[in-house]
Parts: sequence; structure tokens; C-alpha cells
Amino acid sequence: MSSWRNIVSLAYSDYSHEWHMSACFILGLAAVLAPLMVLFGVKFGIITNMMTSLSEDPGKREIRPLGSSRYTAEWFASVRARPEVAFVVPRTRTLAATVELRSRSAPFIVPAELIPSGEGDPLLASSPQKPLGLRHIVLSDAAARKLNVAPGADIEASLARQYGGQRERVEFKLEVAGIARPAAFARPAAFTSLELLLAAESFRDGRAVPEFGWAGGPPVGAERSYPSYRLYARSVYEVAGLSQLLSDQGEKVKTNADEIETVLSVDRNLSIVFWIIAIAGMIGFSLSLGASLWANTDRKRRELSVLRLVGFASGGIVLFPAFQSLFTAVLGWLGAVLVYLVLEAVINALLGSHLEAGQSVCFLLPSHFAAALALTLVAALIAALLGGLRAARIEPSDGLRDI
Amino acid sequence: MSAIYHLKEIVKTRATNGTGFRLVIPSIRIEDREAIALVGYSGCGKSTLLDVLAMILRPDEAARFTFIPRGENPIDVAAAWTKRDQNRLGDLRKKHLGYVLQTGGLLPYLTVRDNINLSRRLLGMPEDGSVEHLAKVLEIQRHLGKLPGLLSAGERQRAAFARALAHRPSIVIADEPTASLDPITARKIMGAVMELVKEIGVTFIAASHDWAQIYKHDFRSLHQDSRERDGGRWIESTFKD
Repeated sequence: MSSWRNIVSLAYSDYSHEWHMSACFILGLAAVLAPLMVLFGVKFGIITNMMTSLSEDPGKREIRPLGSSRYTAEWFASVRARPEVAFVVPRTRTLAATVELRSRSAPFIVPAELIPSGEGDPLLASSPQKPLGLRHIVLSDAAARKLNVAPGADIEASLARQYGGQRERVEFKLEVAGIARPAAFARPAAFTSLELLLAAESFRDGRAVPEFGWAGGPPVGAERSYPSYRLYARSVYEVAGLSQLLSDQGEKVKTNADEIETVLSVDRNLSIVFWIIAIAGMIGFSLSLGASLWANTDRKRRELSVLRLVGFASGGIVLFPAFQSLFTAVLGWLGAVLVYLVLEAVINALLGSHLEAGQSVCFLLPSHFAAALALTLVAALIAALLGGLRAARIEPSDGLRDI
Repeated sequence: MSAIYHLKEIVKTRATNGTGFRLVIPSIRIEDREAIALVGYSGCGKSTLLDVLAMILRPDEAARFTFIPRGENPIDVAAAWTKRDQNRLGDLRKKHLGYVLQTGGLLPYLTVRDNINLSRRLLGMPEDGSVEHLAKVLEIQRHLGKLPGLLSAGERQRAAFARALAHRPSIVIADEPTASLDPITARKIMGAVMELVKEIGVTFIAASHDWAQIYKHDFRSLHQDSRERDGGRWIESTFKD
């Protein structure tokens, strides 16, 4: 209550009366904190840039099978159910997964790969499109340019097979539901529903496809297996775990786990180095501020005794150095933030020339500034505890007659 | 008359290198609004007795230490010390006590006005012109806005008296308040102080080796006596009514 306010106001009066001493404490804190913030800013900036380029490329999250095997629908269901899996879809045989495309707006036939896709395909994540269906496909950028079509266009597709000693060809219409980003796939290709791929494979195998009215042998039974798959982890952090899981099942897979691990281990190692320096710095600062507050308490023994004499409780006396320590913490942090912001601008101006727009060598989030303040307050309170314990032991009669 | 202090068989020992010192109070009873002088040579235990009376120094033994603020129930100070109830003692000092040291005792970071007002502020007392009135009687009005560091020794003692009186305590204790002043300044200040003591009606207990002051202002002296004990290993100092 009012005794609190009195202590705060007295502590502040003393603090500003001895402003040159206070300024030394504040500068001392800023001198420890500012370099730590710059160090962390650089670490955070570099790691963020590396992680951004990793996570912006969905290819880094892909887990590819080596060779081919037989994967059943149950296997896909169990993989899809895993929380670390973002997207999985079966592939049909590569040789059967091609189609020839033709549009009214381009003079030539474009052979394209058929890529199984579906909702949540990371390669299509940033391209707006209608859902895929039996007759709706998403073209790769290369295919769309060769065919000279835009989303919504109708295109002609054709498939050929050798069946019963005869060469057969079927033609059918498809609608362009969307066009993928150039980075998603470099070659001419069509992202299609699994149904369309299965239809193409069945046709090539000489079977009938009732959906399209193609004649042939009896359709495949319900138990179908697939030679391969497209599989993406939810984030780069989960690639290693997921690939380990598949290896444990006897699968041979290829991932970017090594590249990801490099970035992650750089992050980890830099973090360890940073925290060692930060903790050493903060302990050093706590001890130096604590020692100063301790010495200060001795120096101010008489004034603190006077406060005891006029009736301040011992709790109030402990708060006296505690508040002064908090003033130092907040002002020192402010000073460090100012120094950091200047250095951040300098570093980014000197080293940022080769980066893309929006990237920085050195930057911090607002939460980092808050964390720095929180850490500083903790260090200051530890220091204040040292000074406060000293102050609390002052008997009111102790220092009154010191000169 | 009603008593404000009632002390019996109080002992406070201070061990020092060489000769030890022991303060003994067989019995002291101080009446409300009385003016008491402690007289004796330097080092005879005046300050120790004042600190005990001011409830800032814990006696080693106390058969009875009762403090009876005007119009209130007796308070067992000995029991509060036994319980180490520092905050209770602090509250008593805050409300009932004003203390003037030999020099200063003012907080260097507060203006003279804020120093004088310190106890009033702690007690949540309103601004009612008391500070100005005291400053006027003690002739430090023009120094109210200054920090104590800019004042002369005499002006600081005037401010210290103003602070001790500002919250209208029951008792003002002064430990050789004029010792560091020249006799003329000392007499002037004590004149003004005695005027205020009578006006406010406080119990005034002062230590002084300045005999002239004591005769001038109707103080009652406590009798002090010292003797060596254990072949010179202890000096025992006794104060009596």
C-alpha cells in the first residue's frame, strides 16, 4: 500500500540523486546485454534464413522410395494416419504414367508425365485450383506454357496401347483445374487424381475402363498394389524420424535428411555456444550488480538505518535495493535495445547485400526483446537479493552514529 | 501525572576489545510531557540508553519495559523484543517517536521539506501546514526546497528537529543535538526547540554534556554513575531516577 509507494519513491529519489553511480550500473548492464543481443540476432537471422529456404521447398520434405516394391491400400492408410505425414499418395507404374496432351491454342502434341496428386499436395500448396477429379488436372508450368492454356481450358488427352496384337489409341477430354508454380515441377506434367492414373494403367494393361467407356479385358480386382508412392513429412524436423521409421520397416528410402540435419545441428551448436556465453554474461552481470548493491548497502548503512529508525519495516528495507536494481534492469535493457537496433542496422547494411528481399543477417522478434528483459529482471532480482539480504540485517541502531 | 516509560532492571552489554561496557538501569519512570536530561561524560552510555528508550536497540535483560503512549494501553516493549517483533517496534517508532542525532540523520536525496515530511508521509498524514510552521519557528523556511548537502550544520540540526516533531509524536529523543554547533547557535536552536516542545506537548529526552543548556531549561536529570567491575574488565554505568 502506501508504504510500498513510499519505498519506491524513496528508492527512486536516491537512485536519481546518485545518478552518476546509477548511470555506471546502467551502462554496465547495457555493455553486457547489447553484445549478447547482437550475437543472438545474428544466430537467429542466419538460422532463420537457412530454415526458410529449407521449408519453402517442399522437395526437402519428400521421402522417396529407392527401387520399387508392392504397397497395399492398408499400408497407405497406416502411413497416412501418422501425425508426421503431411501427404502420401500411391504411384502407378512409371511407364504407364504418361499421356499425350493437345490443346486448341498450341500447334503440337505435348507428352506429359502423370503425377498422382490430391488434396494437400505440398507441390500444389501455393497454387489456387479447383479440386482434382477424374477429368480435372493441374498442369505443371512447363506443360501449361507448351500447351498455351490457362486454368479452365479444355484440353485433349490421348493414350495408346498394344492390345491383342493391335495398336489402339483412346482420346478423351480433360479440364485444366489449375497451373502449378514453376518451382513445383520442371518438366511437362499433369497432376491428376489417382483414379485417372489407375485408368491409364488399366488401359495400358489391356483392361477395360468403364468410367471412360474403354473396352478390354476384365477390370482389376479390389486388391490392388502399387509399386511406389509420393510421401511428404509435415515439416523438415520430421523427415529424419519418418525415414528412420520406414527403414525400420525394411524400406529403402532417400531423403534430404542430411542437409536438414546440417542446418539443425548448426542451429543446435550455435544455440549451445550462445547460451553458454549468455549465461556466463548474465551471471557475471548479476554478481557485479549484486556486489555493487552489497557495497552500496554498506555505504548507505546510515541512511538505511534512518529509514529503519523512522519506522520502515525490514521488508521495506529489502525492497529499497530491489527497486533500484529493477530501475537498473529496465534502463540497462532499454540502453541495450537501442545499441542493438543500431548494430542490427549496421550489420544488415554491411552483410545483407547478397540476401533476398525480406531477409536479414541479423534480426530479433519482439518476443526475443521481451525474453531479454525477463532474463535481465531475473538477473537483477538475484543481485537485489544479495543486496537486500545485507540491507535486512541492518539493525536500526547500527549505522546511526557512523560518520 | 501518567507515566510514558516504565523501565526496571534493564541490562545492555557491549563487548569491545579490551574493556567491556555494561549499561544497567535499576528503575526509571518517565512522566508524560516531562523533559529529561542525560548527563555524563562521553562514553558513559547515554546513547545506549537513548537507543534502548527509542526501541532501536535490544536490551539483553529487561524485567520490565513498558511504554504507555498518551491515551493508549501500556505496551510491553520487552515482550516485543523477545518475540523479535521488529515490525511492531517499527510501527511504534513511526507513530510515537521523533529522533534527533548528533549530526544530520537527514536523507541526502530528499529536499529539506521532504525530509521533514518523511514521517508524516509514512503515516499518511495530510498536508496541513505543519511542515511550514515548524520551518518558520526553526528559521529554515527558505531552505525547504534544498537538499541537506547545501545546508550548514546548524541548519541541518534545525531540519532534524523539524522532522522529529512534524508527525506530533509522544516523545522526541535527541542525542547530543548541539554537540557539533557553536554555543550561540546551540542556544538559539534549543530555545526554538523548547518552545515547540511545549507547544506540541511532547516528552523530550536529550543527552547532553553541555551543562549550561540543562540548567537553563528546566530539565530533570537522570543520575549517572560508573564503576569498574572484575578488576577493570568491565565498566558498569548506571542510570537512575
